Amino acid sequence: MDDLQFRRALYIDPKNQDPEIIAAQQSDASKKQFAHDICQLDKHIEQALKVPVPDDLCDKLILRQSLANHQIHKKKTRFHIAIAASVAILGGILLNFMQASTAYSTMGDYALAHAYYEQGTFSNNSGNQVSLTALNQKMSAFNGKFKQAFGTLISADYCRFGGVKSLHLVFQGKTNPVDIFVTPKSEELTFIASFNDKNLHGTSLAFTQGNIIVVADKNEPLTEWQKNINNTVAWSI
Amino acid sequence: MITKQLRYEALVKALHGDLYRYAYWLCHEKHIAEDLVQETFLRAWRALDSLKDEKAAKSWLITILRRENARRFERKRLEMSEYEEATITDNLSISIDQGLENHWLREKIAQLPSEYSEPLILQILGGFSGEDIAAMLNLNKNTVMTRLFRARNQLKEALETEPVKRGTYNG
Repeated sequence: MDDLQFRRALYIDPKNQDPEIIAAQQSDASKKQFAHDICQLDKHIEQALKVPVPDDLCDKLILRQSLANHQIHKKKTRFHIAIAASVAILGGILLNFMQASTAYSTMGDYALAHAYYEQGTFSNNSGNQVSLTALNQKMSAFNGKFKQAFGTLISADYCRFGGVKSLHLVFQGKTNPVDIFVTPKSEELTFIASFNDKNLHGTSLAFTQGNIIVVADKNEPLTEWQKNINNTVAWSI
Repeated sequence: MITKQLRYEALVKALHGDLYRYAYWLCHEKHIAEDLVQETFLRAWRALDSLKDEKAAKSWLITILRRENARRFERKRLEMSEYEEATITDNLSISIDQGLENHWLREKIAQLPSEYSEPLILQILGGFSGEDIAAMLNLNKNTVMTRLFRARNQLKEALETEPVKRGTYNG
């Protein structure tokens, strides 16, 4: 091994334990001296490279990590709460929607339910009578009026029909009262021309300004009522 | 979660010193070095699951640190002149802390072109082999050898041309 190669090998790595290098050192005192010098140099470099490390660096690193971790954790919790709240709101809306609309999807269903609900309230022979003027006063809210009286009107009152303000008329029928609902146009309930169940049947009349729904028991000739309404109702617009 | 925390703390305790020193020699500034180490460990925490082999932790961290350092230059190119000024004053303050013993040699190391000093630091401080250094710096092994040779050669020559100071070193 020539001197240049030897020096180069030690310059590259003073800790070189190559057998050739060790042999060369042992055979030549000057090479041994060089190896010693370069090792000394390396020790000095190492000393110089070892700049003091700030004492608190280790603690700072751990602290900063736990803070960052905490932040992430907090963000995650916030995210979870947000998700939970969103789901709850969505659930609430869905429930509301189902209760409001799917129970009575058509006008007929609602009219039947309404008629059953108030079945006991009116008796067919109560003797009450509402005048045509009083009726038309109430009808004016729907821009309509009846040109003349037909049948015996027991009661005329505003009510909620599928959430919409409507007029509920109760006429004296053959055996039981006849319910007539005057409703403005509504998109909540689908229009259905005729409907019935075991006891009651009904029809709906569609006008441009609203619907008039007749519900009565099965003894009642609905076409008669329909005809009367068609002949007497008038809309102002 | 707890095991990850313990792993991280062990990693910090074992390697923060080496990493800080390496960062210092990359940027020659105490505070920047500290910031670099902080950023490095924060990134390391996030990616800790990707570290499979604990023996590779040091070179893994150094790789992150080098990337962080490179990022610093992308961000702060405009502040370069200011930064150089800081280097000069800081080297002085270190010398006061440390005494004159290492000051002169530190200056010489700092004056080495970074492509020479980096492999040297990795070899002496990091204890990495030529192959490791080549892999970490993305260099050919022979290039690393040449740079190690030149680095030591330059330092030795500098030592020999400074006879007054020499006594303090060899003594």
